[in-house]
Amino acid sequence: MSAIEYGREALDFIEGLNGYTEVPAAMDALERTFCRFGFETIIVTGLPNPDQKFSQMVLAKRWPVEWFKLYTENNFDRVDPVVRHCRRSVHPFEWAEAPYDAERELGAAEVMRRATDFRMVRGFIVPIHGLTGYEAAVSLGGVDLDLNARSKPALHLMAMYGFDRIRHLLDPTPDPPSRLTRREREVVAWASQGKSAWEIGEILHITQRTAEQHLANAASKLGAVNRTHAVAIAIRNKIINP
Amino acid sequence: MIHIISAANHHLYEDVLEEHFRIRHDIFVEERRWETLRKPDKREVDSFDNEDTIYLLALEGRRVIGGHRLYPTTKPSMMSEIFPHLAEVRGCPSDPLIWEWSRYFIVRDRRDGNLNLQLMAAVQEFCLAEGIAKISAIMETWWLPRFQEAGFVVAPLGLPALVENAWTMAALIDVSRDTLRAINERTGLSSVIQRQGPHLDAVARANLYRERNEMTRKIA
Repeated sequence: MSAIEYGREALDFIEGLNGYTEVPAAMDALERTFCRFGFETIIVTGLPNPDQKFSQMVLAKRWPVEWFKLYTENNFDRVDPVVRHCRRSVHPFEWAEAPYDAERELGAAEVMRRATDFRMVRGFIVPIHGLTGYEAAVSLGGVDLDLNARSKPALHLMAMYGFDRIRHLLDPTPDPPSRLTRREREVVAWASQGKSAWEIGEILHITQRTAEQHLANAASKLGAVNRTHAVAIAIRNKIINP
Repeated sequence: MIHIISAANHHLYEDVLEEHFRIRHDIFVEERRWETLRKPDKREVDSFDNEDTIYLLALEGRRVIGGHRLYPTTKPSMMSEIFPHLAEVRGCPSDPLIWEWSRYFIVRDRRDGNLNLQLMAAVQEFCLAEGIAKISAIMETWWLPRFQEAGFVVAPLGLPALVENAWTMAALIDVSRDTLRAINERTGLSSVIQRQGPHLDAVARANLYRERNEMTRKIA
């Protein structure tokens, strides 16, 4: 296909997405389209904070059941080099471009190796960075892919719009908990464990003052009168897990 | 507040506009390394800064802390002149009711979230007031989900391509009351724009160029 044909196909697909009013139907459409590029697996997911479980962050997926079980049971998201690189990149990339040290990072090497047992040999991931620190991604895998300089921009755009449609269908109203930044959630989570601002600073490698500032910001966003109240609200609203 | 500055009232804002050109150089050239915009006098001014440009600048006293600009698409625009390949699939718009949105910036010490949303609200509030129906934009693709999260309805005009090492796309954004309402709910503000002095009718101005374009076509 020429670049303009890829472009027309992608834009037609994107314009058609609004017609899907249920997540499974939207996922079927994504699956059909990405399948034409040789992809066999799709996951649309938020990236977990230290206090969140990967399985709770998944918005929609077409993954082999056994692989999802293996991935979640082993907490592979904590060592997956693709997840790590995704947090640092605003640009899409091939899984193989996610750097790791194969000699020293055995966990990373294991995830990459075991994925190939489930026909996830090559892949392409589109990172999503939201307004208030929310991190997510659409990750596509397969064996024999039409993945090249011409197809990537089409996949990039379709994945972003696919993400938006799924997110919208799952939660038509903006999610208040996402209003805290990642750092603010982290400091509140540590405060809920009884840590002082100085200790939180040491843990997160930030100054005590910065930790206090994050706590104060979080408290004001949550409408809390003090730190303890902020922790209570954050737990009640499931912004952090106790 | 976000001030609306056009040819009609720029005499009230000379100092502010001047500071804004220097901040743009600081952000777009020094920080983001768009070397093609580098100027020896450290003022980032291009061919879309002229008597038809409308600036929306966030001021704190007389200090510029953020902003962006709008430009009529009935004149040669950034999309039609520099990035037409980004709009290859659906084409570049040229319509008095569509204005091109560019040079979105926030000074470093104010990138904490709320000002960003206010700047997004400002473009919607201003365009609704002026009767502008859509905004065209060349934007970094990673901003797409951020705009969508804020409630913007963004339609692509073509596929993303690398511009100065960043994936960049051409898009058409709806001006809508729903979008403005969604952002205002997040900022907690019912209005963010402020006008001083005489007021320029944006759509009428853009229409002048459409008539002129049609005349030129007829003569040709």
